[in-house]
Amino acid sequence: MAKRNRHKQSAEVNLGFQIAPMVDVVFVIMLFFMVLAGSVKVENAHNTKLPGTEEAATATSMPDEIAIRIEDDGQVYLNEDPLDTTDVTSEQGKLLPELAGNLSQLRQSSEASKAEVLVTIYANEQAKYERVVDVLDALSRARISNVTFQAVAPE
Amino acid sequence: MASGGGGTESGEPEFQIAPMIDVLLVLLIFFMSITTAEILKIDQNIVLPVSPNAKKRDPEMTKHEIAINIAWDVAASKAHVKVDDHVYDNLADLVPRFTDRRTKDDKLRAVIRADRLLPAIEVQRVLNTVAESGISDVSFAASNK
Repeated sequence: MAKRNRHKQSAEVNLGFQIAPMVDVVFVIMLFFMVLAGSVKVENAHNTKLPGTEEAATATSMPDEIAIRIEDDGQVYLNEDPLDTTDVTSEQGKLLPELAGNLSQLRQSSEASKAEVLVTIYANEQAKYERVVDVLDALSRARISNVTFQAVAPE
Repeated sequence: MASGGGGTESGEPEFQIAPMIDVLLVLLIFFMSITTAEILKIDQNIVLPVSPNAKKRDPEMTKHEIAINIAWDVAASKAHVKVDDHVYDNLADLVPRFTDRRTKDDKLRAVIRADRLLPAIEVQRVLNTVAESGISDVSFAASNK
């Protein structure tokens, strides 16, 4: 009987939600995410459409085609004209400012003549994928989304 | 800070709600972190190229995406193509698998997650396989930094 009373008393004392440990844990979780936030890498993407044989309901107008060639050493050619440096390690080399500027002008002139721009990327076999993504990044900056790939570089 | 213990002064155990919530929160975080990896099977060892202007992935397309991981073995100069935790040495084996997925899902998108040092020819081989399977929607994964 005495044991039961003691148990009842202790239950009455400890009843109720404990906020202090809850706050402790929330603070720890918050700190964890605050520290983690600085090093989080977000995975983004460049979307393209592969050329296919889908049937179209209406006639399709042929767009202005631009060819970008990427050599093994990282040199980028826009319609046979070499642009930017081959130094892929430098910030400027990665950004391809000349290519992005030229592409932006080409898009503007195509828009003015109500034509569509189509860019085909010809990457050499040993060209690094990183360089291909650099070119896609420059195309993204020039706001050109109509991009396709050629499996083999033209001779 | 927080007081420990789970019993009365007499040593009798009692139910504490706070540690229970602690454990539940940890479990919640654990399941939140594995959910995205379960939808898109990605290879964390691949070093993606950096592209600050790449677009954020559309959350609505997540269920229509299939990740194609292409790792580059520098020592052996060999590419390893991995889809859904399975390594494919022969890319032709991927065609029936992709074709099957494509027939079930019209909006299927192939997400190419390739190592930054990978030669472009390996990406082009995978693109040929993707095109053979009838998938035209392709996206190239890149890191923001």
